[in-house]
Amino acid sequence: MPDPLPAARPAAPAGSSGDGESIRVIVIDGEEGTREGVRRALEERGFAVRTASDVALGLRLMRESCAEVALVDVSLPPVDGLSPTECITQRCDGRTVVVITSALPSVETAVQVTRHGAFDFLIKPFSTAELVRVVERAGHQSRLVRERERYLSELAGERNLSHQLITSMHEGVVVFNIRRALVLMNPRAEHFLGTHFREGMSLPELFPDLDTAAAIEAVIDSAPARPECRLVQRSLGDGRMQVSISPLLLDGEAGGAIVILSDVTESWKAEQDKNRFVSMVAHELKSPLSAIINYINVIQSGMFDDTMPKIHEMLDRCRVRGEALLDLVRDLLYINSREVGKVERSIESVDLKTVIAGQLDFFRVQADKRRISLSLEAPLAAYPLKADRGDLDRIFMNLISNGIKYNRDKGVLAVRMADKGAAWEIAVSDTGIGLSDAERASIFQEFYRVKNQKTAGIAGTGLGLATVRRVLTAYNGRISVSSQPDAGSTFTVTLPKE
Amino acid sequence: MARLLIVDDDTDLLEGQKLFLQKKGYEVQTALTIEDGLAKAKETTPDLIIADLMMEHYDSGFVFCKRVRELPGLGKVPILMQTAAPRKVGFTFETGASPGREWMKVDEVLTKPVPLEHLLGKIEQYLSAKARHA
Repeated sequence: MPDPLPAARPAAPAGSSGDGESIRVIVIDGEEGTREGVRRALEERGFAVRTASDVALGLRLMRESCAEVALVDVSLPPVDGLSPTECITQRCDGRTVVVITSALPSVETAVQVTRHGAFDFLIKPFSTAELVRVVERAGHQSRLVRERERYLSELAGERNLSHQLITSMHEGVVVFNIRRALVLMNPRAEHFLGTHFREGMSLPELFPDLDTAAAIEAVIDSAPARPECRLVQRSLGDGRMQVSISPLLLDGEAGGAIVILSDVTESWKAEQDKNRFVSMVAHELKSPLSAIINYINVIQSGMFDDTMPKIHEMLDRCRVRGEALLDLVRDLLYINSREVGKVERSIESVDLKTVIAGQLDFFRVQADKRRISLSLEAPLAAYPLKADRGDLDRIFMNLISNGIKYNRDKGVLAVRMADKGAAWEIAVSDTGIGLSDAERASIFQEFYRVKNQKTAGIAGTGLGLATVRRVLTAYNGRISVSSQPDAGSTFTVTLPKE
Repeated sequence: MARLLIVDDDTDLLEGQKLFLQKKGYEVQTALTIEDGLAKAKETTPDLIIADLMMEHYDSGFVFCKRVRELPGLGKVPILMQTAAPRKVGFTFETGASPGREWMKVDEVLTKPVPLEHLLGKIEQYLSAKARHA
């Protein structure tokens, strides 16, 4: 005789939910026999069962255990004038699925039960199989209810979140439907466009400028065949606003346009400044090159081949202008390195007196050529400061170099250092051509150079004093100038000690 | 001998062009500022003027041209403007042809560096046109 077939591997117990947890069931029944019978039958199959002999206790247990299924006997006495079914379904906050048990099979019972929100019913006496089938289905229903609830609350949370996001955005958001009517506008957009949201406002009302309106139209029309985004800029008061338009697709169909407005004034202004700076640089590079090429042109024409001194003169000017070009490139690189922040300042203890004495030494040969005397008046032994040595060199190199270039032959260049309590004050005075009031107002501008008969032939980059002022700003320092035309100028630098 | 006036704030450029044009037989006056340029224009009534654009101010050249045209005998003097300014910055060089730009009364704008032979060609072109109309 063959061995009996091995028992089939038991399937997952009926009473466990998908995640392995037992389905919690409350049995509310007046008869102890029924309660215990049901308990045994369900527990054997993995359900977690608690029992109650009356509705009040049953409700308490349901709340305590978050029961998923309640089996309620309809023959129990009413509570507060409510039938047990009504009582349970109304007070179990809808999370517990109610199954009615009744010994009286009547259509009326069934209808009444369903009307009161029960999920199913069992007619006593019921078989274990029937019981398990119904309770299992009820447990499944309960899980569905809970999942739906969680989903709905998540959805509400997300809607709330997106509303908050749109409201608090730094960018303006405007949404048009396919008929070009306004559907949504956040407070920032109201601010940018200087208007208030009114449902159905038209495109031209919001964007009177034709460029923006046309771009929005084009984006709406482009969807969904060839959805395209557009970027336009328009004025925003004195500034600039960027308008970024993308199509709104609803189930793959053209639904309108989403318009994002952002204030780009700062970068726009920076870009303008940069463009202006670059064209100034181009001009300043081309001018000396033009002069140099011009001289070479003249020399190559051969017309001065018999006048060597003239040729040497021209070549010397070429050299001077070439050197000035080199200075300009050097200054530009310096400014760029500081602006871009590639080169970090290395702050150390520096003695200002040493820096200035060093610069004066450097320029002594140049000064001697024109018999200009250099002097340094610094009563203290040292003038300590925390700074980048390169920055200080740049400041005083520019001031001393100017004091020599724009001085008269046999003039004087005097540097005086003084202690002003919280700051050091350094005055660089020359006995040169001086400045008019108008010139004085402009000399710290980039590429400004005093141009007149007196300065003709003096090479410079137009960046020296602008650089000095920029560098000083980094140290909370200041520069001022006093001057008398044809008598001389004094540039006074104030550098805080800390 | 034709008289030329060159106004430019770059001494070296003036010097180079002056040396070249003098050798080519022109009588050349130079001025570093528009004030000096106007004085010399008034004094010598040049046959042709070459002016820089960006001098004390970015539009000094145009101001100069406008004022030169107001001087007696210089209403129709040919003016060549030479500039190192990038073409697209600030101005469209319509040379007075378009409405509202008549005050930019220059005859031609040349970009620096202007090769001397090219400059010479332009000078000859405008002087001979002037002679034909005279």
